[in-house]
Amino acid sequence: MTPAPATVRCDGLAVRLGGHLVLDGVALALPQRTIAVIGENGSGKSTFARVVAGLVPRTAGTLEVLGVDPDRDAAALRARTALVLSNPDAQILLPTVAEDVAFSLRPQRLPRAERDARVAATLDRFGLGDLAGRAAHDLSGGQKQLLALCGAFVRDPALVVADEPTAYLDARNARLVADHLLSDAGHRVVLVTHDLALARRCDVAVLFAGGRVAGVGTPDDVVAAYERVLAC
Amino acid sequence: MLSLFRSGDGWLHRMPAGRKIALLALAAIAVAALPSSWLACGIGLVVAMVGYATVGWGVRAGLAELARQVWGLRWLLAFTAVVQAVFAGVEPAAATTVRIAVSLAVAALLPLTTPAAAVLEALERILAPLSWMGMDAARAALLLSVALTTIPVLARLAAEVREAQRARGVRPAISRGMLPFLVLTLRHADQLGEALAARGVR
Repeated sequence: MTPAPATVRCDGLAVRLGGHLVLDGVALALPQRTIAVIGENGSGKSTFARVVAGLVPRTAGTLEVLGVDPDRDAAALRARTALVLSNPDAQILLPTVAEDVAFSLRPQRLPRAERDARVAATLDRFGLGDLAGRAAHDLSGGQKQLLALCGAFVRDPALVVADEPTAYLDARNARLVADHLLSDAGHRVVLVTHDLALARRCDVAVLFAGGRVAGVGTPDDVVAAYERVLAC
Repeated sequence: MLSLFRSGDGWLHRMPAGRKIALLALAAIAVAALPSSWLACGIGLVVAMVGYATVGWGVRAGLAELARQVWGLRWLLAFTAVVQAVFAGVEPAAATTVRIAVSLAVAALLPLTTPAAAVLEALERILAPLSWMGMDAARAALLLSVALTTIPVLARLAAEVREAQRARGVRPAISRGMLPFLVLTLRHADQLGEALAARGVR
């Protein structure tokens, strides 16, 4: 039996944006299901997430996400990957909750009944079933981020890349979003976060500093190393 | 004012989105083209009331929705009425105000009775003939839909700018708030672009 491809595998990965080398010489082999990416602002972790999600092309090096090279087969990767961002307002694309979730299924051109059933099932799963007809922009911050998760998970992605998905949320909603994100529902997760307690819940953690990998290992070890850096 | 889809099974709900866009556009244009007279006011009001009363939510609920739509336009209508009354007289002011109110209320029947996805698909079909000009109909339709959905966000960004000005002891002013509003809007546009890409739109 062929082993499952690594979630992320890269070597010599570099990204230059606006003349600045944002990522430099990143080498990682991460077969784990949930990957935490931590580091200070400007360390390159969000850029790493966008490269993994296929939003930003690499400048140099090799990269495989779920065994796919994003630069060679972007369409195949996009079909299997979903992205959740920190600002819930910026992820709402259509007026009502159900319509916004259904928008994620447009590329699949599903029959209407099947599309509506999948939307309803996803909204129920994330506790938004009663809000299907509500104006998406009238939801609370926590509900909006759950809506963003619905938009991501309705496509049944193999990988969810989340860039600080709990940044705008209170403790209760942050926990709710994290529980959904990290639940073992057959998907893998690359989670960029400043929440070190959340990073500790992942299978592996990567610490970025100055666009380079400063540490990889068990979340406890990597978070401890990061805390030592913060204490200096 | 941003109207949201309200479910129902009336004749407008059942009508295909493309045909509905044509019908409502025609009705709105016909009302807008009425002469500036008291008769125009009456015709306009009847068109709007009949349209909302027969839409399928029931007469009372339909007229309540019409009242809600007009209330959402109150500042625009008040401004129009006052300016027109001063420069053109009472009768033209009343006719113009009613024509604007009725045209917009009739136009609002489209999002009220049609799911956003159906409007999006209809717009794609309507804009498709313009592809000879190099226009990507799917992108243009999506642009219109997302732009309408984004109106509440822009209103919130403008409110945030005003609050930031107040927090610093400055009286809110459009001239001072324009630049930060533009910066916030462009940042939001960037994030929206990423969100679209994340949903498979490139």
